[in-house]
Amino acid sequence: MKTVIIKEYGDFTIPDTYVLDLTQVTVKDCLGCWTCWWKTPGRCVHKDLDEFYTKYVNADKVIIFSKVTRGFVSGNLKTLFDRSIPHYLPYTTYTTGETMHVPRYERYPDVEVYYQGEFASEEGRKVYEDYICRTFYQFYFKGISVKPINDFCLEEVI
Amino acid sequence: MNTIILNGSPKGTKGNSEIFARQFIKTMKHPCEVKYIAKENPQQLAEFVRNFDAIIIVMPLYVHAMPGIVMKFIEQLRPAKKGQAIGFIIQAGFPETAHERYIENYLRLLAQELNYTYLGTVCKGEAAGTYMKPEFMNKKLFKQLNHLGRIYEQTGAFDKGIKEKFGHPYKLSKFQLIFLQQLEQTGIGKIGWHKFLKANNAYDQRLDRPFL
Repeated sequence: MKTVIIKEYGDFTIPDTYVLDLTQVTVKDCLGCWTCWWKTPGRCVHKDLDEFYTKYVNADKVIIFSKVTRGFVSGNLKTLFDRSIPHYLPYTTYTTGETMHVPRYERYPDVEVYYQGEFASEEGRKVYEDYICRTFYQFYFKGISVKPINDFCLEEVI
Repeated sequence: MNTIILNGSPKGTKGNSEIFARQFIKTMKHPCEVKYIAKENPQQLAEFVRNFDAIIIVMPLYVHAMPGIVMKFIEQLRPAKKGQAIGFIIQAGFPETAHERYIENYLRLLAQELNYTYLGTVCKGEAAGTYMKPEFMNKKLFKQLNHLGRIYEQTGAFDKGIKEKFGHPYKLSKFQLIFLQQLEQTGIGKIGWHKFLKANNAYDQRLDRPFL
C-alpha cells in the first residue's frame, strides 16, 4: 500500500510512507493564474510540489494530520488544497446533480484526516468536518474519514 | 461606517474580485479604501484593520472556501474592538451557490467567535468569466453591485434583495440540470477552454496526466 502523510503536528513514524511535513514546509500560494488548466495542463506554475504530486496521485491512501486553526484548516493546508486544482480538468460535469469538475486521473486515493485542536462549539466541529468531507468528495476521493487525533490508531493505518 | 474593503484574490487588481470590489464602491458618496491581502503582510494587515468600524472581504471561492492567503490573514485577525463588524462577498465559478454553504457557515461562526457583528456573506455564482465579458454583458451585475454598495454606505448592511438575487440558483433546478447535461454531451461547454488551450499551444496536452 502506498501511503502519503501530510502533517501539521506530531511525530508519527509510519514505515514506507512519503511525508510532506507542513511544520517545515510553507507551500507556495496558488496564484489563480490557471496555467495548470490552459498553458501546461496538469502542471502548476510553481514547482515546489512536483515530487509530492507524484506521490499523491499514485498513492492508495493519504493521511492528513491537520492542526485546527481558528476552527478551520490552516492557511498552509488550505493552500495545499487550492494547489490540487491541476489534478482536475477545467471542464464541468453535472452527472451528480450539481456542478463538478471532471477528473484528470482515473483514480484518486482514500483519505483519512486526523485533526488536533479545539472548536468553540459542536457546530464548529461539524462545519470543519463537513468542509473536509465535501472537499475530498469533490476531489473524487472514495474513502473519506475525518476524526479527532484521539481516534488515531497506528496499527490500523499500517 | 468607516469600512475597509479587503480584496482576497491572489490575482490582486487583475481578477473578478477586483471588479466586484470596485463596482461595490463605485457609486458610494465616500468610496471605501481597498487593500489587497495578496500584497500585504497578514499580521500587519490584521493590525491595520483594527482602525475601521467594519471589514468587508471580497474574494473568490477556492475549493469550497477562502483562498489560502485569506485563511493566513484570518489566522492573524484579532477579536473585534467594541462594535466592529465583518462581512464577506464571495464570487464563484459554479452557477449554484450551494457550493458556498460550507464557507458561509464557517464565516458566520468565525465572526461570532471573534465578537464581530456579522454583516453576512453575499454569494454570487457564475462569476468566473466576469473579467472576460464585454461591459454590456456585465451591466446588470454591475448595477446590482453598485446598489449593494450604495445601500451598504447608507445603512451599514447588505441589501437583502440583492443578496437573495445573487444567491440564485442555490441548487440547479431539474430544468437547468437537463439543459446543462445536454450541453455537456454536445461539448459546447468545452469550446471556451479549447480556445485558450489552442492559443497557448496546449490543446494536445489538455488531458495529460503528468504525475503518473
